[in-house]
Amino acid sequence: MVLVDIRETKSVKASDIFLQIRPGKDFEVITILRALVKEQPVDESQVQETGLTLEQLQDFVDRMKKAKFGVFFFGMGLSMTRGKHMNSAALLTLAAELNAFTKFVAMPMRGHGNVTGADVIMRWQTGYPFAIQFGRGYPRYNPGEFSTVDLLVRGDVDAALILGADPGATMPQPAIDHLARIPTICLDPKVTHTSRLSRVHITTAATGISAPGTGYRMDEVPLPLRPALKSPYPTDEQVVRRIHEAVLKKPDWLQQGNRMALNQV
Amino acid sequence: MLRITGGKVYDPLHGIDGQIRDICIHDGKVVDSVDGGRTIDASGMVVFPGGVDVHTHVAGGSINFARAMTPEDHRRTVAFIRSQTTRSGLGGMAPTTFATGYLYAGMGWTTVNEAAVPILSAKHTHEELRDVPIVDKSCCVLMANNEILLDLLEQGEMERARHLVAWQIWAAKAYGVKAVNPGGVAAWKWGNDAKQMAETVPGYTSLTPAKIVTGLAQIIDELGLPHPIHLHCNNLGAPGNISTTLETMKSLDGRRAHMAHLQYHSYGGDDWSTMRSEAPAMAEYFNQQKNLTCDAGAVLFGDTVTITADGPWQHLLYKLTGRKWGNLDVENETGCGIVPYTYRPSNLVNAVQWAVGLELLLLIDDPWRIFLTTDHPNGACFWRYPEIIQLLMCRDFRQECVTQLSEKARERVHLPDIDREYSRFEIAIITSAGPAKALGMPNKGHLGAGADADVVVYDEDEDIARMFGHPRYVIKGGEIVIEEGDIRATPEGREFLVQPSFDREIEDFLRPLFEETYTMSFENYPVEMHRIERPEISECIDVST
Repeated sequence: MVLVDIRETKSVKASDIFLQIRPGKDFEVITILRALVKEQPVDESQVQETGLTLEQLQDFVDRMKKAKFGVFFFGMGLSMTRGKHMNSAALLTLAAELNAFTKFVAMPMRGHGNVTGADVIMRWQTGYPFAIQFGRGYPRYNPGEFSTVDLLVRGDVDAALILGADPGATMPQPAIDHLARIPTICLDPKVTHTSRLSRVHITTAATGISAPGTGYRMDEVPLPLRPALKSPYPTDEQVVRRIHEAVLKKPDWLQQGNRMALNQV
Repeated sequence: MLRITGGKVYDPLHGIDGQIRDICIHDGKVVDSVDGGRTIDASGMVVFPGGVDVHTHVAGGSINFARAMTPEDHRRTVAFIRSQTTRSGLGGMAPTTFATGYLYAGMGWTTVNEAAVPILSAKHTHEELRDVPIVDKSCCVLMANNEILLDLLEQGEMERARHLVAWQIWAAKAYGVKAVNPGGVAAWKWGNDAKQMAETVPGYTSLTPAKIVTGLAQIIDELGLPHPIHLHCNNLGAPGNISTTLETMKSLDGRRAHMAHLQYHSYGGDDWSTMRSEAPAMAEYFNQQKNLTCDAGAVLFGDTVTITADGPWQHLLYKLTGRKWGNLDVENETGCGIVPYTYRPSNLVNAVQWAVGLELLLLIDDPWRIFLTTDHPNGACFWRYPEIIQLLMCRDFRQECVTQLSEKARERVHLPDIDREYSRFEIAIITSAGPAKALGMPNKGHLGAGADADVVVYDEDEDIARMFGHPRYVIKGGEIVIEEGDIRATPEGREFLVQPSFDREIEDFLRPLFEETYTMSFENYPVEMHRIERPEISECIDVST
């Protein structure tokens, strides 16, 4: 196992080789690796910027090519730092290109909760995994514009329903401030940072402990969740259904007949 | 209650070829007569049984991966705006689930067979199928690369293999069995492939693709599944692969089989520059093999996204195109590759592919054994079927399209020499009656008493693509779902399953192997019945010949 990180983490003990790179240099490291995989010359000064030596990188490439089945696991250190999705794209390209030599795949390490499940379902219902805007009656996608954190920081939303997440603990302060300012409803089995700042906190049964459901593993394999305990609280699904039923009783503002947007703008 | 009166009816199963008949509907079924209820005056219109798609990819891990990979297409495609009857969604190369139902029903298709489901992620597929409204659904479970099954086939343990196959079909809540590149996808886990029928599959000592194909076909006939083995042959897409396909057909030796997307398996030549159509040779052989059915897997020029369990082929396609490539490996069962692709008339290979799909449809003489598909989304998107109907029904239009091809391409194909034009009666066979029969669905694909009331009413129109693309009325299970170009109702469809019998002891064999090699607990593996929306279990049949 080769570990690449900007600092010595607990995982170093488990790894055979640790490559400590300079913060924010992921894209550069991956690009140099891609060049070395294709036996292209690389500039020594560019190698130096990464905090690694050419020998280390060449050795890494040789090992990858010799592997029978290689996997890149990557996380938010790659996708949420300088370069963001460009870093992820570069790593996926590296994995694809390594298949000219051996079997290689890349897999994102997912964060808390059933984030993969949310991703999967949003994709089949709307075509997009997250950052989806229904304002025009059909799904539109633009990370940075429609992602939760950006909407909150800009103060573009006037109500929020939070489910299966604790943005109050992880999001930047301006986003949290806005959540506290607007009517925020939070569904959570326990008291969280978000529930404390919410206008309404509905306590629900914990999925997998006292509520049934389906969790998607990070390789997108669905697993049934069977409750071991009973809960006095309703499940998330029951609460959302009841809210939905109540909303349906309001006069329908949708037009009759179907409309299609032939040219999305 | 509903009466459709005065329309020209095309019901091939009952030999009705454009005669004016009344179709009466009561309680979701076609009946001999009704008293009262609504009457649709279909004078001057054409009445068809609802379309049946024998091979499509509309739900599950692979198409959902394709959706994730193509946001640029979602952005430019038709969007469905939420209304009182419909949910929002997107069309395009890999439509979202709700849109898939609206698009199929919107052109008169009312039953679809999702052709590739791994057991491990079958729960996902069924959840997606629940979200495909209006149409009835079934699915085929992927098997020919399942390592536990391959081991049994190698050891010749056919009895146990049969119980395992039956157990797995029920575990996946599937309707049929799909074999994709038998042995090749398993070999791909190690970067290899299995191209020749008689060569040993890498990683095995004696197992060959031929042995997998015949073993599985035999088991499926013994179990009496209503739909035979759904077979995607080895060596897909490669020049000269007709030899592999013919060898596969010969190895079946009279057993039933449905040959999926035959277009991709009917090429001559030695490499990409000499690739040519071998559709006449394929059709000539196929015409004699009454045990076989096939679907076209036709190609249309334009953008699409290719998705298949055939991992090694997709890696090759990625290398050829240099475009995006997605690969999924599904533990011991199967895999999948995804590559966006553009078929161009100026490209020699694409031109040959386009011609081969149409040539097979025109040269295979029995329309009851070849069906209209594009292997959606691989050859083209399903919502382009009306374009193919136009190409089949109108020779002049076809010849006009041939002129787009380069001179070099025209020398490699036979399409310019074919004069056949499909009749409406034959179109009703290849889009509805035939695939329903091949799927073993006795209540689909016809308008006789007792049939499911899935009926399409088209306005007569000289523009064939427009006529078949925009039905005046679509009735699904007796309910009017499309009227005057508007979606009026979006009922949930049913899902067809089979429950072949097996010995419970097979679990004692499977459980230890499973616990050793899989990454979930055995109890979590099968799909629970409550996950299936409106299940309908079909009977197994006697296939002894």
